[in-house]
Amino acid sequence: MNKKKIDWLLLLITILLVLLGIVLIYSASCGIKTELSNLASRQTVWMAIGIFLLFLFIALPYRNLRKASYPLYLFSLLLLLLVLLIGKGRAGSSRWLTFGGFYFQPSEFAKLIFILVAARYLADIGKKVKRFFFLIPYFLLVGIPFLLILKQPNLGTALVLLPISLGILWTAGIRKKHLTFLIAIGFLSSPILWFTVLKDYQRARLLVFINPNADPLGSGYNVIQSKIAIGSGGLFGKGFLRGTQSHLAFLPEYHTDFIFCVLAEEWGFIGGIVLLFLYSLFLKSLIRIATSTSEPFARLVATGITVMFASHIFINIGMTLGMLPVAGLPLPFLSYGGSSLLIFLIAVGIVLNIKKKETMF
Amino acid sequence: MDRIRGLSHLIYLSFIPLFCGLIYTQLFRYYRYQRLSDLNSIRIIGLDIPRGTIFDRNGRVLVKDRPCFNLYFVPFDLKNPQKASSILAPVINIPQEKIESVFRKDCPNPFEQQSLKRDLNEREVAFVEEKGEQLSGIFIQVGLKRDYKLGKKAAHLLGYLGEVSPEELQKKKLKGERIKAGDLVGKEGVEKVFDPLLKGKRGGIRAETDARGHKVRILGKKESSPGNSIILTIDRSIQESSAENLGGYRGSVVVMDPRNGEILALVSKPSFDPDDIDPYLFHPGRPFFNRAIKGCYPPGSIYKIITELSALKKGVITPTDKLECKGELEVQEGKRIRLFHCWVDRETEEYKQHGWIDINTALPQSCNIFFGQVGLMVGARGLLSYGKRFGLGSPTGIDLPGEKAGSIPPPRLSGGALNLSIGQGALLVTPIQLVSLIATIANGGNIWQPEVIKEIVDPLGNEILSFAPHLRGSIFIPEEDLSLLKEGLYNVVEQGTGRNSKVTGLSISGKTGTAQIAKAELELPTHGAFICYAPRENPIISLCVFLDTASSAEAALIAGRILKDIFFPEENE
Repeated sequence: MNKKKIDWLLLLITILLVLLGIVLIYSASCGIKTELSNLASRQTVWMAIGIFLLFLFIALPYRNLRKASYPLYLFSLLLLLLVLLIGKGRAGSSRWLTFGGFYFQPSEFAKLIFILVAARYLADIGKKVKRFFFLIPYFLLVGIPFLLILKQPNLGTALVLLPISLGILWTAGIRKKHLTFLIAIGFLSSPILWFTVLKDYQRARLLVFINPNADPLGSGYNVIQSKIAIGSGGLFGKGFLRGTQSHLAFLPEYHTDFIFCVLAEEWGFIGGIVLLFLYSLFLKSLIRIATSTSEPFARLVATGITVMFASHIFINIGMTLGMLPVAGLPLPFLSYGGSSLLIFLIAVGIVLNIKKKETMF
Repeated sequence: MDRIRGLSHLIYLSFIPLFCGLIYTQLFRYYRYQRLSDLNSIRIIGLDIPRGTIFDRNGRVLVKDRPCFNLYFVPFDLKNPQKASSILAPVINIPQEKIESVFRKDCPNPFEQQSLKRDLNEREVAFVEEKGEQLSGIFIQVGLKRDYKLGKKAAHLLGYLGEVSPEELQKKKLKGERIKAGDLVGKEGVEKVFDPLLKGKRGGIRAETDARGHKVRILGKKESSPGNSIILTIDRSIQESSAENLGGYRGSVVVMDPRNGEILALVSKPSFDPDDIDPYLFHPGRPFFNRAIKGCYPPGSIYKIITELSALKKGVITPTDKLECKGELEVQEGKRIRLFHCWVDRETEEYKQHGWIDINTALPQSCNIFFGQVGLMVGARGLLSYGKRFGLGSPTGIDLPGEKAGSIPPPRLSGGALNLSIGQGALLVTPIQLVSLIATIANGGNIWQPEVIKEIVDPLGNEILSFAPHLRGSIFIPEEDLSLLKEGLYNVVEQGTGRNSKVTGLSISGKTGTAQIAKAELELPTHGAFICYAPRENPIISLCVFLDTASSAEAALIAGRILKDIFFPEENE
């Protein structure tokens, strides 16, 4: 048993990223005079809780997760329903549940649970994944939380379920023609989504992405300001706490979805590249664990988590650079937000657990 | 695992566009973005939201937007707020401390313009333009000013605009309206009720500015679009005549078409200036209180209409029965005897003695003794329920905000049949209910819902919605009872208490009402009211004049003048 080995590099990078996040949040919020000024210290508390949970999930036998995946899945659906019924929200959406003064986003939780249940199902059916009939329950597993999250409405989190579910399917061994068929269906049905499910503001965001001047006061403004912040950072940046764009409350979401702007403005291109490098090291560790695990459930979970992190990184940074529509997804470990930080750290804990198990063989 | 390897390639590949994006934004476009960032030069400039026009029934403008010059500042660009406020204060007539406090106010986005003063005059505009060099961050922009053509004469009816309050903001956001703090919304009257319809869509400019905060280049513009226009049932001439004839009295005038409930005029006084409400905020006469629909008063002798109809219906009296009025009446109330009086004659300063009279004389003379005795025969329950059937005690449903219901109390708390029969006791009615009552008599039993809105048209002039008259209910009045009552009402004006309203060439039927605010014995002022309809044969106008502290004779005089203006407008010229 004392052969248990933790992937220290992965853990180190994770903690480094969270600390970097706290520093950036501090910088982003130090210009704000109101109640947001103690965001960094609140994020530190979240980090402490998150790291505790991370180690808890390393210690837990992950087979328990496999057993608990279906009940947990039902529980997460229940929470999503609850959000729709009694959720707190802002700007026309309700994403939060509150208890004891804490806000909690069930959609973040549901994302991770979905990875577990998807892996469980595909691990259970094994080779039958080649038969299209056996994929139908899988579509239901992803479809229900997808629609519930979309309804909140939280387009970003809902959409991120798609690459995750496809990544897991792919790893489980879906036939290529089936996958092609699914992707084709997805593209063909997107107009329906556009006209039925999307809210006006979401459509506006997508249109603004095509032409930022279409709505100079609304979301087009965010993208332009974000680009100015990043672009004005230049090669070396303006220096810590010396970013001008991000300190002046140009964007309401500098400390959350647009945290990358703070880094890019203050630490420049160098800072951006270092972050991308850290992220790629991080993803590389995850992928290594996924490949070296022979147990199907564990492998699928590790893949799902890898795709989740990769999608978040890609979509979030792409959005701040104006290359993707504004989708409202947090940047892993860096963005302010308790629910997402906890989920990300727990996800790392699960992968480290898999790694530990794997080295025992 | 080939598949995971394939997936990992895809993941690594996804970093390439991010990498390229960073190179492009931070290295190739660095100078452009650095310049924009150095100047902090992107500003959002909101444009005023145009509101719809409000027309009267004949297409005459009552309220309309007109261009004006507004003074704005961008908080971030204020280089020297003290100096700027000291320069501005003497010219724009706002104390320097007040300007400074506006400058210091917290705002969500320091790059968004805030309003300092609206509707500058030419001198102010010239001054600010001239001193532009010293006033960085302060600029003039063309905006819109609501122009209330009738001013104080229709303030309660039309309402006014004010900055949205935090509570309203919350409420409107919940309803899904796009609105933000500082927006102007309708307060009171038509402006309030139809605010969502009148309100246009916000537009704005995103502009690049130079170091002094002046626009250099417009990066994007969203045109604002005007709201819908509204056509009211109001007749501008009648509205003006009503306001002018009401003069300096505290009270209200409501003119309604008895054939369909369309309100032709609605005036409440004292009034306020919708263009500048500040001086009226602490006025003792409650100028914002719309007496026509919120004022609850005892109806006084007007209620004798109800007493008469209910008595005839119940058969406790016939048209020919006579009762004696000796100026006073002893009534047994429980264990004690109460002395009930007829009204005081102003000339002799004694209680009026009408002698033996029938109902046809009693109504024009408004004899308290006659109706008191009749009322006792009908009973409190009957008097109250008959009033309720005319819609008293519940809101008429007029499409204006804050209408009160008045009060028809349960019999036990009503103050007894004797008091009720002459409209005293615990009864409370609003002027709009009284005009509805007389309209119902005039048209023979139909209770129309009073309406001020006729039609909604879009900015291009196409009709969106039109409002048909709405019948709230009807009440059956036997033909002979109705003609007897109408005869009486006609005599009120011809020879009775409403003589003051007489207009040559016009047959008017009406009823006066004088209600005691407290006890008349204490020589306290009374409410004076007069309701009427005209012409007698085929009524097209019903009218209520209600004065807070005056006699009913004065109310009748005002009513007569308004009717004269309506039916013989040319004679005034």
